[in-house]
Amino acid sequence: MTIDRVSAVVLLALALLVFWESRSLPLGGLARPGPAFLPVVLASLLAMLALVILARGGRSARLASLQWSEARHAAVVLVTCVFAVVALERLGYRITMAVILLVLLLVIERNRPVVALSLALGVPLVSYWFFTRLGVLLPTGPLGF
Amino acid sequence: MDPVHDLLFGLSIALQPENFIYSFLGCVIGTIVGVLPGIGPLAAVSLLLPGTFGLDATKAVILLGGIYYGAMYGGSTTSILMRIPGEAASIVTCLDGYAMAQKGRAGPALMIAAIGSFVAGTLAVAALTVLAPLLARFALRFGPPEYTALLLFGLVVLSYMSGRSMLKALAMVTVGLLLGMIGVDLAAHMRFTYGLAELVDGIGIVPVAVGLFGLSEILTTAGKATPPQVYKPRLRDLSPSREEWRASVGPIGRGTVLGFAVGALPGPAHIISSFASYALERRLSRHPERFGEGAIEGVAGPESANNAAAQAAFAPMLALGVPSNAIMAMMMAAMMIHGVLPGPLLIRQNPEVFWGFMASMYVGNVVLLILNLPLVGLFVNLLRIPYRTLYPLIVLFCVLGVYAVRGSVFEVGIMTVMGLVGYLLRKFDFEAAPIGIGLVLAPTLEISLRQSLILSRGSYVIFLARPIAATLLAAAAAVLLLALLSVVRRALRSAPA
Amino acid sequence: MTRLRQAPVTVLALFLGALVALAAVPAPAQEPFPSRPVQIVVPLPPGGAADLHARPLAQAMERLLKQPVVVVNKPGAGSVLGTVAVANSRADGHTLLIAMPGFFINPPVDALFGRPPKFTIAQFTPIARLSADPLVLVVHPGRPWKTFAELLADAKRRPGGVTYGTAGAYSGLHFPMEILAVATGITLSHVPYSGAGPAVAALLGGHVDAMASGPGPVLSHVKTGGLRALATWGTSRLPALPDVPTLKELGVDVEYLLPVRIVARKETPPAALQVIRDAVRQAVGSPEFAGAMAKLGTAIAYLGADEDLALWEKETRLINQTLQRIGKIQ
Repeated sequence: MTIDRVSAVVLLALALLVFWESRSLPLGGLARPGPAFLPVVLASLLAMLALVILARGGRSARLASLQWSEARHAAVVLVTCVFAVVALERLGYRITMAVILLVLLLVIERNRPVVALSLALGVPLVSYWFFTRLGVLLPTGPLGF
Repeated sequence: MDPVHDLLFGLSIALQPENFIYSFLGCVIGTIVGVLPGIGPLAAVSLLLPGTFGLDATKAVILLGGIYYGAMYGGSTTSILMRIPGEAASIVTCLDGYAMAQKGRAGPALMIAAIGSFVAGTLAVAALTVLAPLLARFALRFGPPEYTALLLFGLVVLSYMSGRSMLKALAMVTVGLLLGMIGVDLAAHMRFTYGLAELVDGIGIVPVAVGLFGLSEILTTAGKATPPQVYKPRLRDLSPSREEWRASVGPIGRGTVLGFAVGALPGPAHIISSFASYALERRLSRHPERFGEGAIEGVAGPESANNAAAQAAFAPMLALGVPSNAIMAMMMAAMMIHGVLPGPLLIRQNPEVFWGFMASMYVGNVVLLILNLPLVGLFVNLLRIPYRTLYPLIVLFCVLGVYAVRGSVFEVGIMTVMGLVGYLLRKFDFEAAPIGIGLVLAPTLEISLRQSLILSRGSYVIFLARPIAATLLAAAAAVLLLALLSVVRRALRSAPA
Repeated sequence: MTRLRQAPVTVLALFLGALVALAAVPAPAQEPFPSRPVQIVVPLPPGGAADLHARPLAQAMERLLKQPVVVVNKPGAGSVLGTVAVANSRADGHTLLIAMPGFFINPPVDALFGRPPKFTIAQFTPIARLSADPLVLVVHPGRPWKTFAELLADAKRRPGGVTYGTAGAYSGLHFPMEILAVATGITLSHVPYSGAGPAVAALLGGHVDAMASGPGPVLSHVKTGGLRALATWGTSRLPALPDVPTLKELGVDVEYLLPVRIVARKETPPAALQVIRDAVRQAVGSPEFAGAMAKLGTAIAYLGADEDLALWEKETRLINQTLQRIGKIQ
C-alpha cells in the first residue's frame, strides 16, 4: 500500500459521506440548483480526483516507510487541546491553561522546574489580564478564577 | 475639485493634535490586534465601535480605520514567526515567511512585510484619493455572473500555487469548498449542521487556519528526535540583503496593483488578493521551486496585496454607502451615528470627514512603518527561546486566539480536529493552503452561481453574454488549456521516441 | 504540630460551611428592581439598526433606573443565538432583548422546514415598540418604469420577468415583496443576497430590477438619481420623500413596516415589568434618544406594551399567511 493510495481511499470515503448526507436536501437541477446541488457536484469531482490519485499512486512512498517518531508527542499535544475544549468553560481560562502549560513544559518537555512553574503560572495570568482589558470575554471557573 | 488642494485641506484636519492622537492610537491598537492571534480587525473594531459613539465622526472613522489597516500590517508577524496566521489574509504568508524564519531570515521577512505594507498602503491611498468614486462604480459592475466567473478564474489560477502536484492541490481545494458548504444556504436550508447552532453560520476560517498551520506545525515538530535547529538571529541579519531587496521590488509593485484592483469588490477580496499575488509571483519566478522553501517574493507580494486591498475596500463604503464587508459596515455605523451619511453626497456634505480621513491614512501608514520596524528586532528575539519551552506557549496562544473569535469552545474543537488533519496531510504529502482558500471562497461562489441562474432563469448563456464574465471565463479556460498542454507535452517527451 | 496539621482542615470545614449557608439563604421574595446591572441583548452585530437603537436607549435608561444598562451584541445564526440566550436567561427583568423582524419570522420558518423551533414568541412579552420605518420600493433608474402603475403593468405582462433583491430568504425585506405580489396578483423573481448591503449594491449596479428597503440605506441614492423610489409600504408618506405615494394611496391595500422593539421574558415579575416599561417610555421621550434617532433618519414610533401586543398577533398572522404562499424555496 502506498501513501497516495491510502489518501485516495480516504478522500473517496469523504466524497461518499457527502453524497449520503446530501440525500435529505433538495437537489434541484442544472437550471435551478438546490441546496444539495453544489455539494453533490463537488463530491463527484472529489471522487474523480481521488480515483485518478488512486490510479497513479503506485509509485509514491510506501505506507510502511512513514516515520511516526513524533506521534506520541503529537498525541499529547492533541489531548491537551481536547482538555482545553472540555475544561475551558468549566475550570476557567487561567486554571485550564496553567494545567496545560504545566503538563507540556514540565512533564513532557522537562524544562527546568523554575522556568516551567513561572511560565505555567505567569503566562495565563498575564494573558488573561491583557485580553480582558482588550474586551475579550475569557471564561472564569468556580471561585472566580 | 483639485485633488492636491483637497488633500492639503485633509492634512490640515488629520494633523490637528487631537485627530493625530486618534490616528496614532488606532495604529497602535491595530498593531497589537494584528500581532495577537485570533482577535483580528473585525473583533477589535466591533469591541471599540461603541466607544467611538462619544467622538465626532472624523475622529471615530480615523480611529477605527487605523485599527483596521494597522491590523493588516501586524497580521504577518505570527505567520512568519510561528506559522499561525494572525488573520485570514496572512495564511499565505505562513508558507514562505515561516520557511524563511527557519533559515534564520525572520528579520528580513518581517521587515519586507512591513515595508511592502507601507508602500502598498501609501500608493493605494494615493490612488484612492483620485479614484474612489470610479473604483466604486467599477465594483458595482460586478454582479452574480461576474463573481462566479471571477471565483472560477481564481480557483483555476490558485491551483497553480501548489508546488508539487496540481492533482492533489485540486483535491484539497475541493475539500475546502465542501467544508464551505456547511451551514445555512441561500434558500434557508440547514446543510450538514446536525442541529448545532454553532454550525449555522458555517465553519470559520480562523480555527481552520490556526489548526491546519499553527497546531499542525507543533504536532509535526515537537517530538522530533532532533529538535529543529534554532538559528540565533544576529543583529546584522535583521535587514534584508541586497538580493532580497532586489527580489522584492517587483512583487511589491505587482501586489499593490493586484490588491487595489480587487480590493473594492465585496466579500473575501483581500484574502483572494493575497493568494492570487502568491500564485502570480510563483508563476513569474525563474525559480518557482524556491517557493515554499523561503522565497522572499512569497512574502513581499501577498503582504503588499492584502494591504492595498484593505485600503481599496474603503471606496464603495465612502463613495456609495455600500459596505463591502462587516468591518466597513461598522465604520459606516460610526459615521451614521453622528449624522454623517457615507455615499454619493459625502464629499459634498462632509468634506472634512472625507478628506480628513483620507489624509489620516497617509499619516497612519508612516506611523505604522515607524512602529513596526523597531518591533522586528524584538519579535525576532522570540525565536531565541528553545523550542521545547516555546511551543507550549504557542499552544496556549492557538487556543486563546481561536476562543476569542466567537467566545466558543466549539471553535477550539474545530481547531483541534484541523490540527490533526493538517498533521496527517503533511505525513501523506498534501498541502493545506488550498483547503483554506476553498473554504473562504465556497459561500460566495455558490451564492453567485445560484443567483446568476435565478436571474437568467436557468440559462448558462448569462455567463457568456456579459463581457466581464466572458473575459474572465475565457482566461480561466486558457489557463486550464495551458496546464493540460504542458501535461501532454511532458507525457509525449517521457514516452519512448 | 497538631495545631498546624489541623489548621487546613478547620479552614476547609469553615469554608464548606459558609458555602452551605450561602446556598441555604432564601432569595429575598421582593427585592427592589433593578438590583444589578441590566443587559440589553442585541442579537445582531454592532453598528446595525438594532444596535443603534439600543445604545442611546440604554444611556437614557441608565439615568432613570440608577443602575448600569449594558448593551451586549450576541450575533449568530441570523438573530437566533441572541434571542435564545435571552429566552434562557433568568426571568427577573435584568435581561432584555431588541426584537427585529427575525423575531416573528424564525419560529414559523423552522416549522415550515420541519425543524424544532429554537425559541417561540410565547416565551416573551412586549415592553415597547421604538420605531417602525416603512419600507420603500426602489428600482434601478435604467428601467423604464417611472411610476408604480407602469411597473405593475410590466410585471403582469411578463410573469417572473421582474427581479428583486433581498437581504436573504425569509428576511424582513423578502416578505413585503411577496405580500405586494399577492395583493396585486403578480409573480416576481426573488434573488436572495447575504445581507441588505450587498442587495442595495446589486440594485445600484442594475443586476436586479427592484428592492424593498428601509429608507436609511437608499435615501441619498434616491436624491442623487442613483435609484428611483416608486412607492412606500407606509401608512402615510415619508417626510423625506414627500413625492413618493404609499401603496394604499395607489389602491393596493398593504402595509409593511420594519419595527424595532424591546421585549422581556414572559415570566418576568409584573412589578419589574412595570418599572422597565415606565423607564423605556421616559427614555424614548428623552432628548438624547430623539437626537440619536434624528441622526439616523428614523422616526420614533413609540407604542406601549398593550398596543404593541395587539400588533404581535397581526404580524404573526400576516407572516404565516405569506409563508404559506412562499413555501419552501429552492
